Amino acid sequence: MTDTTSPITRGHAEAATPIAPGRTPWKQEAIGFVLGFALLALLPLIFGDTYARHILIMAFIYAIVASNWDLSLGYGGVFNFGHLALFGIGVYAYSLLTKLAEFDPWIALFASGVIATLAAILVTIPILRLKGIYIILVTFGFAQLVMQVIISQSAITGGTQGLVRIPGLYVFDHNMVRDGKSAYFYIALALLVASTLFLRVFVRSRAGASIVALRDNEEYAVSRGVSIVRQRMLTLAASAFFTGIAGAFYAAYQRNASIDVFGMSLATIILSMVLLGGTSTIYGAIIASFVLTIFAEWMADFGAWRPMITAVLIIGVMLAYPSGLVGMIKASWGAIAGRLKRPG
Amino acid sequence: MSALAEILFGGLFQGSLYAMMAVGLALVWTTIGVFNFSHGVFMMLGAYIAWQLVELGLPAAVAFPIAVVVMAGVGWILQASVVRPLIGRPNIVLVVVITTLAAGSLIENGALTVWGPRSKQIPALIAGNTTIGGVGVSLHQIAIIVITPLILAALWMFLNRTRLGLALRAVAQNEDAGHLVGLNVTALYGLAFAIAASLAGLAGIFMGGYRFMSPVMGSDPLLKALIVVVFGGISSISGPIFAAYLIGFFEAACSYYFGLYWTPALLFGVLILTLMVRPEGIFASRSRGLA
Repeated sequence: MTDTTSPITRGHAEAATPIAPGRTPWKQEAIGFVLGFALLALLPLIFGDTYARHILIMAFIYAIVASNWDLSLGYGGVFNFGHLALFGIGVYAYSLLTKLAEFDPWIALFASGVIATLAAILVTIPILRLKGIYIILVTFGFAQLVMQVIISQSAITGGTQGLVRIPGLYVFDHNMVRDGKSAYFYIALALLVASTLFLRVFVRSRAGASIVALRDNEEYAVSRGVSIVRQRMLTLAASAFFTGIAGAFYAAYQRNASIDVFGMSLATIILSMVLLGGTSTIYGAIIASFVLTIFAEWMADFGAWRPMITAVLIIGVMLAYPSGLVGMIKASWGAIAGRLKRPG
Repeated sequence: MSALAEILFGGLFQGSLYAMMAVGLALVWTTIGVFNFSHGVFMMLGAYIAWQLVELGLPAAVAFPIAVVVMAGVGWILQASVVRPLIGRPNIVLVVVITTLAAGSLIENGALTVWGPRSKQIPALIAGNTTIGGVGVSLHQIAIIVITPLILAALWMFLNRTRLGLALRAVAQNEDAGHLVGLNVTALYGLAFAIAASLAGLAGIFMGGYRFMSPVMGSDPLLKALIVVVFGGISSISGPIFAAYLIGFFEAACSYYFGLYWTPALLFGVLILTLMVRPEGIFASRSRGLA
């Protein structure tokens, strides 16, 4: 146990040190991964009522969106503020494909991921030459552009009214409505597992190492033959696929689509999940998605005070632990491990 | 003739509002190197404070300056609480985005709790209407068109002709050198935020005089200010000012010829094209510095 914790604690002590991919041996991570998701798969046994399951399904969707954002924002260092537009594109792609083109819902779900990926490649073109703050502004502009186009094409997209009665998913002849949401729960969980597996394999691969290298020392990485154009496109495209699928699933689950998905409030919530969890971890964003979603439900009684309390907590955590919840966990884990080690 | 007058007037008016907002954003970016996402909320808060003071019985001529000064204080406090503690951290740009967004959400929901969701309006700077070149306009809007360049000129004078303004620009250009020659860098950071917040507050007062106010009134102007600074280049004060008027005219012309629905889409399209050709903005030089 001391073998694994010591490099992590050392990494935390030097706050500027980036978390390199592949520090935890992959076997240990695989065990943790399987155990963690097996635990999540058992949750419907504890939470029988549909409302609790609904909250969990929403947490899974947010976790997919947030953890994919962590790939471009945390690992890639690309300040892509149009990530929620990719989610929104997934929502509308699924809705229009199933409603107007009458695609099979599962094919539409997959196609939405592909469309979001193509949109991500498209938005990468103007930001190839840009850095830092300019990327924020252009991607932000891209998100607004997509929203404005959807609003102005109200004949097809429903405009500000949105779309209703979108076909849902199906599993053979299983009744999706009267099963206490367990089918949707397991589909959402399966998507989260697939997305997380993809993200972790990606960030541990050579491609993942190269995008981190570009983030940390662009000139050096380029001089060693890493192509900034190709890797930046790869980063954004990779972060878009499951985001688009999450959007499509969201539309299939909610059975409606509205332009609210492009709004600032959802973007703020998901961004706080990424940063609150701690960037460049993938797992941090997932943990923070669960924490924030459940926390928001738990505080439902506070009414108007809820967003204010959440805001104060986000500021508090960011000021005290800039590396987020994962940094907090690692710091406390390091303290416990250190105390355990000392007597021995 | 009336088409031209309408575009000209609309452009000048919108451009003035955008310029007031964008200059504050650019000022904070150049001095501190962070992006203030609560800038739109500053605008809303300035308008609500002015409304509250007028409601308490103060005349507008007294209430408006007080609101602007209070906003300077709000800007300073925000800077001290959610920006200053993060200076020197490696991922400051990103973390400040989320802390200012959260602070903005806090203030916005606070305003909603205190003042309620019902729309309000504050008195116009000058009441009444007139007709110029066949276009009906309110005197309030003409007052804004006249006052804004004066305030921007005063800001330019401050940044270029006073010791304090020069110190602010010095910190913007080279923070370490600013420390070395004995400038109080932390205080200057606070000052940049204070000026930005009071300008935004003033823009809010302008806007509250001709449109109904709501706690979310700042989000659209913030978005427009973002476009303006991207378009004009964020590394200067003059770039965003030119860009603000240019975008004002562009919007006025677009909504006249293509209709209100297509204007935002066209605007963003032009914006993205501009950035592909000139990433640093059309009026900017490559260096990061003020004026």
